[in-house]
Amino acid sequence: MSQLRRGVLEFCVLALLRDGERYSFDLVRELGDADGLVTSEGTLYPLLGRLRREGMVQTTWRESVSGPPRRYYRITPDGDAALQAFAGQWARFRDSVDALIELGARA
Amino acid sequence: MSTRALHPLAEDYLRRLRRAGHQLPPHRLRELLTEIEGHLTEAVPPDAGDEEALEVLARLGPPGDIVDAEQPPAQAPADRRGWREWAAVILLPLGGFAFGIGWLVGLILLWSSRLWTTRDKLIGTLIVPGGLATTLAILLILSGSTTTNSCSGFAPPINPTTGRAIGHGTIHCISSPGPSAATTAFHVVLAVLFLLGPIVSAVYLAHRAVGRSSSSAASML
Repeated sequence: MSQLRRGVLEFCVLALLRDGERYSFDLVRELGDADGLVTSEGTLYPLLGRLRREGMVQTTWRESVSGPPRRYYRITPDGDAALQAFAGQWARFRDSVDALIELGARA
Repeated sequence: MSTRALHPLAEDYLRRLRRAGHQLPPHRLRELLTEIEGHLTEAVPPDAGDEEALEVLARLGPPGDIVDAEQPPAQAPADRRGWREWAAVILLPLGGFAFGIGWLVGLILLWSSRLWTTRDKLIGTLIVPGGLATTLAILLILSGSTTTNSCSGFAPPINPTTGRAIGHGTIHCISSPGPSAATTAFHVVLAVLFLLGPIVSAVYLAHRAVGRSSSSAASML
């Protein structure tokens, strides 16, 4: 389950960035608030780093008056393409799993 | 790292994260610490109560989990693959030339790695045991099985005064036939197989190591 969650989380991050850049803390908090999606918010930071190294997102540092510089994330064209490809596969995957679970529940 | 004040529990959390991540590459650990410090600065004001701070830290999870996520089990060998896996890939074909010890070291590295499956390890071990050193030995053996001549008989006596031969001696030579064309062709095929075997096996292992380490989570679907 943790492998599935980890794989899906990458695309949840990309989905949150589709409408524009986001501060890393806000991203992490929003994902952390989603029910059953994240067990440890801290593990999202390595995930963000991995997405950056893979060229799925780009970041910009900005000064903050209330603390250390803030890192803002935005999706790249590669990230957007990966998200679109995933979204299509995910719909089929989700429907198939739901159908099998419902079938099992009726049996 | 910022010099701004953090809640004491947040400071302690960063210290534990630094300790837990001491094996990470320094730049990755530095980056993680910066990100988590930023998170703690946002989430835990310096004058926050311990209960509030503990709640934020509980949401962040144990520092060890963050380090594990930075270096998950499937990718851990990949990051450290620098010497272990690549040493195995090099030593298996070439280590046999170091009195066979190099190949044995390569074998130990191969079987101690978590990147390769048992099937991969069997391929690396059996194709070809000893690597190219075995190939060289086989080539030498094959090249030795050529046409041979054996001679017997006696030489004429020598006049001690003149130093010349007296009369004639008799020498008989027998020439053994070399291998047939079919045998030679078999030897050539065998030599090529033994030459390519260790190389192809090493390339296969390198390919599998890279493939396993870079497999994307998206491939689950």
